[in-house]
Parts: sequence; structure tokens; C-alpha cells
Amino acid sequence: MKPFSFHSPRGLGEAVDLLERHGPGAQVIAGGQTLLLAMKERLARPSALVSLAEVADLRGWRYTDSGALEIGAATTYAALAEAELTGVPLRGWHTEIAAVAGDLADRPVRTMGTIGGALCAADPRFDMVTLVVALDAELDTVGAGGGRTIRAAEFFDPVGGTVLRPGEILTTVRFRPQDGFSGVAFEKFRYRVFDAALVSAVCALRLGADGAVADARVTVGAVHPAPVLATTAADRLVGGTPTAVDTVEIGLVAADEVLPAEQATTSVRRYQRELIGVLVGRAIARSHERAHTTTAGS
Amino acid sequence: MQTMTLTINGTEVTAEVDERTLLLEFIRDVAGYTGTHNGCLEARCGCCAVEVDGDIVKSCNVLALQVAGRSVTTVEGLAPQRVAPLEHITTQSLAGVYRPLDALGAQDDDLHPLQAAFHKCHALQCGFCTPGMLMVLKDYLEDNPEPTRDEVRKAIGGNICRCTGYQHIVDAAMEAAENMRPVAAPAADG
Repeated sequence: MKPFSFHSPRGLGEAVDLLERHGPGAQVIAGGQTLLLAMKERLARPSALVSLAEVADLRGWRYTDSGALEIGAATTYAALAEAELTGVPLRGWHTEIAAVAGDLADRPVRTMGTIGGALCAADPRFDMVTLVVALDAELDTVGAGGGRTIRAAEFFDPVGGTVLRPGEILTTVRFRPQDGFSGVAFEKFRYRVFDAALVSAVCALRLGADGAVADARVTVGAVHPAPVLATTAADRLVGGTPTAVDTVEIGLVAADEVLPAEQATTSVRRYQRELIGVLVGRAIARSHERAHTTTAGS
Repeated sequence: MQTMTLTINGTEVTAEVDERTLLLEFIRDVAGYTGTHNGCLEARCGCCAVEVDGDIVKSCNVLALQVAGRSVTTVEGLAPQRVAPLEHITTQSLAGVYRPLDALGAQDDDLHPLQAAFHKCHALQCGFCTPGMLMVLKDYLEDNPEPTRDEVRKAIGGNICRCTGYQHIVDAAMEAAENMRPVAAPAADG
């Protein structure tokens, strides 16, 4: 590691000031599970680290009056994964966020790793990156020039990285209220349990009053530098009720859309292409099943 | 350089450290608790796992300053004292040195039920990964006192053992889970 100075601000305002004072070499450290690995390799060489460990406002989650779910950016995966044990249980399809948080990396890494840290690291293989785009989350940031809200799909640069400006801090991840979707399912494939995803896929469905799919989002991650929305595949879902045959077919549509055969020239790419088809199919089937269970139950 | 304090196994340790000091380095080089092992230094092998305020972390991927002022438990904190000095433990003398394994865990100076189970089930060969395995499994079994074998395997997904093939480690975890169950609730506060 290159030498750096270390700061532990007590509040968000102080953190913003510190980042501004230390200039472009300053970087935020939340859990540090990605950043420290990069620093050891000297891929990241911050001159100052501003830790968010003591900024209590950035941890935990709450439901707003409109029913949206706001998760503090420095909330750890471990806290999210144990959401059912804490004061604010997650409801409906929001539990899929906890399920994803509890099934990535390994147990000790989840203790430190944070949802916002993963988003800012913007590694396309990270599950949370795919999930926030898939669920059309909004990301709140604060910087010296004030705050702004960025839609998840616009937060990630298509060529990699984020649109965060130097000195800007991600503070909140906001998910739609319950009625935003009827069913959500996240699927991924990795070689070993603690590996990052080789392909991840999410299907988020909203059913209309007639029980048919009114709105669908199909998202594929880990294949390109940023998550990709498979809009053709999603359009195929709208207006119908997917059968087992449809899920397989639409999976193949998504594979053609995200990674066409002519681009899949290496064995890894060909494998990813196959995985897209299978995982999107599974995500559609599972989200649809959940959508029906939720609608029937409510 | 910054001055910081950590409570390690109940003892306060204060030192002036370089900002780059990892928690692992603080524990081993500053505080001298060498039971926590440096395996891969890139958060893969899990040999460096310790508890910080009761939550398991890989100490090679945390800066000491990130957890300044907090309370750390290393493998040395599992059993407050050894049953007997190491040099006395030979195959022949084991029976005399240790109390019967069934009685272990009953007193403060005994082995932790997990340590006793690792001994009984032969869950270590070279022993390098053992401190990390013990700490991760302690944390896990306190959360989930009745795991299945598959769940145990998943819990130690971030710990690498090159000797045992994991079979005996899972055996030991299942055995320890049984012994830990009645005391799981108070232990969770520690």
C-alpha cells in the first residue's frame, strides 16, 4: 500500500468537508472489502481515506411514508441478511434484497462489506450492482455542491465505473414501494460459493388486475462493464402469462440481445451466453410464481 | 502515524501505528497474539478470521484504524487458559493431561466446545487454518445452533483447508453445535 492519511468523521457534513479538503486523491472507505484489496495491489493509491464507519446516519433502513424502502449506503450485507431479526422487517419482494445480501462472498466479508461500497466499486460481477439496476432503484448522493438523486441505470457508466464526481458520497439507496413490482427473482451462477457471479440475472414483474404481466424488467449482469436491460425479452413478457416454454424461449431472446452469438467468440463468452439463457429463464419463472403468490395472498 | 486502542481478548492494547497497519498486523505484531494466521493476505483463505464486537471479519482485509476502540476476540480468547502447557501434550499423555472430553466446556479454563470437538474429531492436520475455522464456526453456530452439514460447509466457504478435505471439520462442527446449544444464548453476548 502507498502511504495515506486516515480520517473518521462523525457526520456526513464533516465527511464531505474532509473529501473536499484532501482533494482528488481522497477516497471514501466504507467496509473496504474491495478497496483494500485494490490498495494492496496498488491498483488504488488514495492519498487520504475518509471512513464512514462512525457516520451512523448511513446505516440501517426505513420505510418512507410512501412505502419506498430507503437503505443507508453503509449498511452491511450481514445487517441486511439478518433483516428479519431487526426492528424493521423487509416486506414482500424487498426480502429478495436481503436474500441476495446473504448469499454473496462469504460470512466474514459480509460483516464488513456494504451495499453502497459495492455500488461505488461498480464491479459488474457484484450482485448488488445488477440488483439496483434491475429494480430501478434511486441513488442519493451528497457532495460539496449539494445533493442529487441518480437512477441506478444512469449511475453506472456503460464503459465501467460510476458517474460519481470526486468528493461525492453515496448516501441512500431507495427502492420502489411494494406496489412497484409483484414479484422479483435474482439468479446467478458462480463456480464456488464465495466467487463473484459469472452471470447474474434478475426478473422483476408487475401483474395487472387481470393477472397478466403489465410491466417487466429483465436485467443481466456480470457480462458487460455495466448491467444491461434486456428490453426485447422484457417486452415479450408484457401482456401474457409466461408458460414453461415461454421462459426458455425468452431466456434465449435475452441471450441474443445481451451477448449475440457472433460476440461470444471465446469459451468463457460462449458459456456466459448459455448461462444468460438459463438464468433469465429461471428468474422469469420464479418471479412469476412469486408474483402470483403475493397477489393471491393480498 | 496515529495512536489507537483495541481491546483484544479483554486486554486493552494501545499503540502508535502507521495508517496502513492491517488489523491482522496489529493483532500479531503489536499485541503479539500470533494465533491469528496470515495465510493469503487477500481475504480468500480465512486463516486470519477474528471477531470484532462479536461479528466475524477477515482481519487481513480491515485496517486497524477502521475498528479503533472496538473489542476483538482472537482464537486465544476462545479458551481463556490452556489445559496444560503444549510441551506436555503427547499422544501417550493426552488422557492424563486433558479431562475426559465430555467434561470439557464445563469450566472457564477448559477448551471451547468447538476446540474440544476439533480435537475429538481430528479436524486438523497441520493446523494452519484452524484458528480461522474455529472463529468462523463459533460465530456461525451462535447464530444458527442447529445447522445441517450443507449449511456448515457454506458457512466455512471462505475458509480454505489444504489438509483435511473438510470432512472432519464438518464432523467437528456438528458435534460442537450439539454441545454449544444449551449455552448458545449467553455466549452470543461475549
